[in-house]
Amino acid sequence: MPTASSPPEPRRRLGEHGLAWAFLLPSVVVFALFILYPLGRTFYLSAHANDLFGAPSRYVGMKHYTDLLSSADFRHTLVTTALFVLFTVVPGVLGALLLVLLMESRIRGVRLLRSAFALPFAFSVASASVVFSVFYNPASGVLNGLLSNLGLGPVGWLTDSKWALLSVAVSTIWMNLGYNVLVLSAGIGSIPGEITEAARLDGASGLRLARSITVPMLGPSLFFLVVISTVNALQSFGQIHILTRGGPDGSTRTLVYSVYEKAFAYGSSDFGTASAQAVVLMVVVLACTAVQFGVLERKVHYA
Amino acid sequence: MTTLTKAPEVAEPARAARRPLQLRARLGRAGVYAVLAVAVLTVAFPVYYVFAGAFMRPDEIASYPPAMVPHSVTGQNFSGAVHAIPLVRQYGNSVLVAGLITLAQLFTSVLAAYAFVFLPMRGRAVVFGLFLATLMVPWEAIIIPNYLTLSGWGLGNTYFGLVLPFLASGFGTFLLRQSFRQFPGELRDAARIDGAGHWRFLWRILVPLNKPALAALAIYVFLSSWNQYFWPLIITRTAEMQTLQIGLSSLRDSEMADPGLILAGVVLSLLPTLALVLFGQRFIVRGLTAGAVR
Amino acid sequence: MKRSSRALAALLVSGLALTACSSTGSGGSSDDSGAPAASALDQASGVTTIEFWHSMTGKNAEALTALVNQFNTAHQGKIEVKPLFQGTYDDLIAKYKASVQQKATPAVVQVYDIGSRFMVDSKQIVPAQAFADKDGYSLEDLQANIRNYYSFGGKLQSMPFNSSMPLLYLNEDAFKEAGLDPAKPPTTLAELGDMAKKLTKKDADGKTVRYGFGAAIYGWFVEQLLAENGALYCDSDNGRSGKAGKAAFDSAKGAEIVQWWADLVKGGYAANTGRQTTDAQAAFKAGTVAMHLESTGVLRGYTEAAKFTVGTAAFPKTAADDQGGPIIGGASLWISGPGHSDAQKRASWEFEKFLSAPEQQAAWHTGTGYFPVNTKALDLPADKEWVAKYPQFQTAISQLKATKPTTATAGCALGVMPQARKGVETAIEQTIAGTKSAQQALSDAAKELQPAIESYNSSVG
Repeated sequence: MPTASSPPEPRRRLGEHGLAWAFLLPSVVVFALFILYPLGRTFYLSAHANDLFGAPSRYVGMKHYTDLLSSADFRHTLVTTALFVLFTVVPGVLGALLLVLLMESRIRGVRLLRSAFALPFAFSVASASVVFSVFYNPASGVLNGLLSNLGLGPVGWLTDSKWALLSVAVSTIWMNLGYNVLVLSAGIGSIPGEITEAARLDGASGLRLARSITVPMLGPSLFFLVVISTVNALQSFGQIHILTRGGPDGSTRTLVYSVYEKAFAYGSSDFGTASAQAVVLMVVVLACTAVQFGVLERKVHYA
Repeated sequence: MTTLTKAPEVAEPARAARRPLQLRARLGRAGVYAVLAVAVLTVAFPVYYVFAGAFMRPDEIASYPPAMVPHSVTGQNFSGAVHAIPLVRQYGNSVLVAGLITLAQLFTSVLAAYAFVFLPMRGRAVVFGLFLATLMVPWEAIIIPNYLTLSGWGLGNTYFGLVLPFLASGFGTFLLRQSFRQFPGELRDAARIDGAGHWRFLWRILVPLNKPALAALAIYVFLSSWNQYFWPLIITRTAEMQTLQIGLSSLRDSEMADPGLILAGVVLSLLPTLALVLFGQRFIVRGLTAGAVR
Repeated sequence: MKRSSRALAALLVSGLALTACSSTGSGGSSDDSGAPAASALDQASGVTTIEFWHSMTGKNAEALTALVNQFNTAHQGKIEVKPLFQGTYDDLIAKYKASVQQKATPAVVQVYDIGSRFMVDSKQIVPAQAFADKDGYSLEDLQANIRNYYSFGGKLQSMPFNSSMPLLYLNEDAFKEAGLDPAKPPTTLAELGDMAKKLTKKDADGKTVRYGFGAAIYGWFVEQLLAENGALYCDSDNGRSGKAGKAAFDSAKGAEIVQWWADLVKGGYAANTGRQTTDAQAAFKAGTVAMHLESTGVLRGYTEAAKFTVGTAAFPKTAADDQGGPIIGGASLWISGPGHSDAQKRASWEFEKFLSAPEQQAAWHTGTGYFPVNTKALDLPADKEWVAKYPQFQTAISQLKATKPTTATAGCALGVMPQARKGVETAIEQTIAGTKSAQQALSDAAKELQPAIESYNSSVG
């Protein structure tokens, strides 16, 4: 604590203890009701079968979990989730890094460029997805229109199970690009000017400068982006709900979407199975974050 | 923390001869411009098309291959979108909901952060650890019980249902705690000598002096609430209670929607966030990268 | 915020009302599943208020509100119906399930066709037949096939309200251009396939500018085609003679239908616009698809939006010797028993009788495009005028008249019908993608559905 203060008298300290709890109370109540209780309740629901109306009816132990493990559908969901993370995180972070590095090579109009690359940030997941649904439209979409000018296509961007996940990933990469560029630009901006100047004076430029100075110095920002992008990808919902509803043939049904489908779609109210999947989701998110902190963080330079 | 270990490597003198390097640099520069130009066109095209398409006539936008530039500017898509769904009302809902969440989170986070920094507390580390732990729970994983709780209270399809779960934030507390800790001890002591109690010190001195951190948090919270999709999708049922984001999605699914109408809806929804991106980038970066500062 | 506090207040009040009800209602109320006599309403003092949940939006909601207002005016001081929109059919079912748990069901609720089995199993309702029997009220005017759909064990469970059926839609201009006669539309899948080939048009570069056929990947169409053939979709006579325990759509006929569809897409004669019905509709309206499967409900929208002459034909049969017909779709109105007073039940029944009467059904039909559930409605001048304006609708009328009510055309009553439909849609997608044969895809879908059926049946007990 940077603040130095004289030791107050005991009575006042007692009052201050009370005040501290009073100040924490609003947050604690919200967390207890909407995070802690639901957390426990999710585990509880996942161990119970539902009656006709979705209420937990009888204890079934680990049955929902063992059912999931033996379900080919659910394994497919896990694979789809992993692929979606891969398809969005890797190109999303590398693409943004490339753009930011190119903008660093002392060219004109950097500010304008930066603003242009930041534009997608203005789009919410819903607006971006709705726009891409117009683009991807098999019959009237602008994408197939452009392809047909080149004598190609038409491609069933969202209706062909070979393409759908990639198409959803592309819309996600585009949507997140603005944010990624903003974060990395800020990261570059915080690299002390003397370091890059010194390197430049020594004749380092272009790739060498990027490889030996900029990228290592961007470590914390890159690390942050990878963690955030992974967690975001694991929790992606809106784009899948708007673009494909998990189809065709389950090819875009990720873990979160599967939770939604079991719990809320088609009037199904299968809260037991959905809760078991939600627990799996939680474990996956926590495991990914932990692994990234364990593996990646050690390689990151903090200036 | 870790020192920069690779610095000496950079200090090596460039081995390549001077002249070819310049040529290579010039070629390289052209390449850089080319790559950036392609990238800008790719990234900005969707944005351009949203605006172009929003002003196209239905037959123009449905033509195959599609038109790229509107031949005659029409506003009919906008009136169509506003008629297809209660867009204005949904706009208001989004502003209200995101605004309420932002104000509430600022308030609860300021109080909690103050308690952590300036008030004595037994087990402070444990409690703060619990606050941080709330950040580790993915919202999607606990959405089912929350939905059941709030609909059980009869708050489905209400503003309460939309905002209640988001009135406090471990992230906001964390962020403000970082900021409050930087507060100079002398200033605080001076305030106490002047007879300022905790409440007055907090609102009269601390909060005004931490405006940048509060603004960053406010922008972050507002944007994430504004962009919410999963929760408003399941907790609302009627078009009148839905937020703009859900409205856009239902506009796409509605039977009278053609691409122009959808894009017009998107244009309307973009106005506030686009203004923020174009004119308030600095604040956004501060707010959004706050988590990166460790 | 005002709205929410009102909701809270309403919640408190209804909670109080509920406890009041249960303390007084336990002795006096008649058997929950039986219908009270008309006297229950006559003896009730003051206004009997009933809550009515529905899923109608846009034009349909306007037409419904007009009917409700008409009813309320006619029963001023006696009955008041409070219509409450509850989102999509799926949303409404979810909300309804919650209301059962909270013991606060609405008096009347509109539920989609495939939710019928669930409603019967919920044991929350008073069958329409019980009221009709008590009153000696004739249900003969209700269209026989529609009545058939909502009857279980020979008894009408709910009052049909908004009904629709599938049609084959034609782009008549495309027919003429291809040298085909729109007055001789295809009647079987084989014919439809042949014509689709003739109607498919490519430009100089070999790009397809018009597909012969195109429909949303919507399981409903497969259900319809199986019914046209007279085949069952699930066991126990489509769940009509008892609780269905197994899906039957994975038959050779089912595979033939799915294969036919996939072949057309793979051959380049059918557009695949995915599951989204609005995308398939857009393709037909834009003229990029010449033949198209859709419900009667979209007819008016098509004739107004399309720049070509829209024709209709009977929904195709799978083969020339098919003996079945289409299944009715849409939704019906259910009356709640437990937790509602006899006066409320009677008031609900009055409301349902009103909505299904000829004049109201004519107004409903002409205002929305739904098929009138009351055969007498079609004889009214207002209705005749409408059919004259949209002569394509005549196809639907004749099609239904020609259909004999059987267990096949009654449609499958499966508690997990929405999931079954989704499974069939996945099977179509898999067959189109070529990852599985039609037979394999359907068998897998049936296999995957089995646990859901069993868990549903066990939770009904």
